[in-house]
Amino acid sequence: MSQIKLNKVSRDFGLGNFGVKGVSLDIEAGEFMVLLGPSGCGKSTTLRMIAGLEETTDGEISIAGRDVTRLAPRHRNVAVVFQSYALYPHMSVRENMRFGMKMRKTPRDEQDRRIARAASVLGLQPYLDRKPAELSGGQRQRVALGRAIVREPDVFLMDEPLSNLDAKLRGEMRQELVKLHRRVGKTTVFVTHDHVEAMTMGDRICIMRDGRVEQVGAPLDVYARPRNTFVAQFLSTPAMNLIEAHLRVEGETVMFDAGPLVGPLPEREAVHFSAVAGQELMFGLRAEDILTQPRPGALAFHGTVTVLEALGPENLIVVAAQGHSVSARVDRHFLPRIGDGITLYADLAHMHLFDAASGDAIAREA
Amino acid sequence: MGRRILSHIGLILAVVIVLFPILWVLRTSLVPAHDSYSSTIFPTVTFDNYRVLFAEKNFGRNYMNSLIVASLSVIVTMPLAAMTGYAFARFRTGGRLARFATLASQMLPPVALALPTFMLFRDFGLTNSLTGLTIVYAAVNLPFLTWILMGFFEAIPEDLEGAAMTDGATRWGAFWRIVLPVAAPGIAAAAVLGFILSWNEFLFALILGGSHTATVPVALASLQTSNGVQISNVAAGVSLAILPLMVAAKFIQKYLVEGLSFGSVR
Repeated sequence: MSQIKLNKVSRDFGLGNFGVKGVSLDIEAGEFMVLLGPSGCGKSTTLRMIAGLEETTDGEISIAGRDVTRLAPRHRNVAVVFQSYALYPHMSVRENMRFGMKMRKTPRDEQDRRIARAASVLGLQPYLDRKPAELSGGQRQRVALGRAIVREPDVFLMDEPLSNLDAKLRGEMRQELVKLHRRVGKTTVFVTHDHVEAMTMGDRICIMRDGRVEQVGAPLDVYARPRNTFVAQFLSTPAMNLIEAHLRVEGETVMFDAGPLVGPLPEREAVHFSAVAGQELMFGLRAEDILTQPRPGALAFHGTVTVLEALGPENLIVVAAQGHSVSARVDRHFLPRIGDGITLYADLAHMHLFDAASGDAIAREA
Repeated sequence: MGRRILSHIGLILAVVIVLFPILWVLRTSLVPAHDSYSSTIFPTVTFDNYRVLFAEKNFGRNYMNSLIVASLSVIVTMPLAAMTGYAFARFRTGGRLARFATLASQMLPPVALALPTFMLFRDFGLTNSLTGLTIVYAAVNLPFLTWILMGFFEAIPEDLEGAAMTDGATRWGAFWRIVLPVAAPGIAAAAVLGFILSWNEFLFALILGGSHTATVPVALASLQTSNGVQISNVAAGVSLAILPLMVAAKFIQKYLVEGLSFGSVR
């Protein structure tokens, strides 16, 4: 049974301005669900609707089989970790954690027990009597988590909790949150605009745009089979290369024509995509599927290097080829100079095709 | 180093300029009446002016009146101002119109309200009563304090209340347990301002008050008689009148500075 069920929920801010429109989503018990999307896509609004902090103007929300659509936040038994942490500034760390239990009339010794346990899990023992203002960003983050954990809620709701941390700490907290989720095992909804967080943390991710759900699925599934160009481009850095393309059937072969890439499709791709020959298409290929060495089924093309980012473990290059910018993720030893003309190979075994008008993915024939 | 000394001299000069009238008033209150205008700083020190003020002019009563009216009006106003300010800040209650009306009420010259208020209060038997004066001060200060508190509440992140409400508090509980304590500096600053405004108010006190209900400003004004200004008694009265303000300012200094800069630097 799903733990959280959103049934066509909408948030109308008035005058037809929808923050969220007709979102349906089932979140399984114990699942770590990531809501991913650019700012303004409605992911935070959706989270706040689950928490009851934002009014649901249409549709129903249920938590643990109970319709909570019209319930006040305090009756939903959810805990929220805010981007700003929202620690009570006039209370010590201990009091911050105690507040929710006090509101729920948890027995005092039980309160102390849970605070002690959360403090030890999160390494907060030395800071229990400090005020939030006396803590670092990372420590505040932990207090915010601790405050949620001690409540022992049905559901954890996290609204970009890592975005105020520096890069190193963010990476650490990402792993800790995953560990914590494994240990606590509670259903968690995690909002982020960072695709790395989404890919690495989520059991499933739900990608949103303009208040609607674009795709829901396991991270690698969504990565491998994006439903449309938006999902394809949003889920990686650099974004997936997209080039207008045409297919043409010539006897036994299917000819492929996408800007600098011209040639026959490999046999398997030809079978999959021959049905859309003649249509206006978008060809998509991720940066890691652009190779520096030839391979069977890879189409060669020439271009001029315009950008080189040596990241250490790998290099990102951008080449200009017949008016198109193509990003490639290449080996760290492959170090062309800006302005060099080079030959690269597009590995068509991993190609994606989208309808040029709607942006919807063309499914590979099974 | 030289610049430091120079700037200190400048600051000391500024402080003297500001403080001198107050210090001179204090000096005048402590010398015999016939020496009030003399150029000697302390011919003889006497507390006679204070004695006269209390023994003959009934100043103790005026002082108590002022304390009662100013305190009570603050006590009445603050909860209303806090709740109204919060409603304006969080729920946009009444929209822009209500906000504008609140501010606009401060643009009306008090004289324009004085006569209607007097006639109204006369019909209700509220003239010459501390209750009447308290009501007027509460009413006059409410919009102003509401406006100030609205600013403080707007500066408090809404997520704090969200956290409190998911933690199990009602909207009222979040306001009472989280918002009010966090806004305490602002509320303290507003309360002190409200007290000072009421303490210094003259016009309504003059029109609505009588001999029994005269407040300090009215009493001090009455020392300007047809036989001249009793400057030594006025000086003693003024010295006492600024006392609670100084105490309040000192007590609340930290909060006041914090409070007044609260909205600007988040």
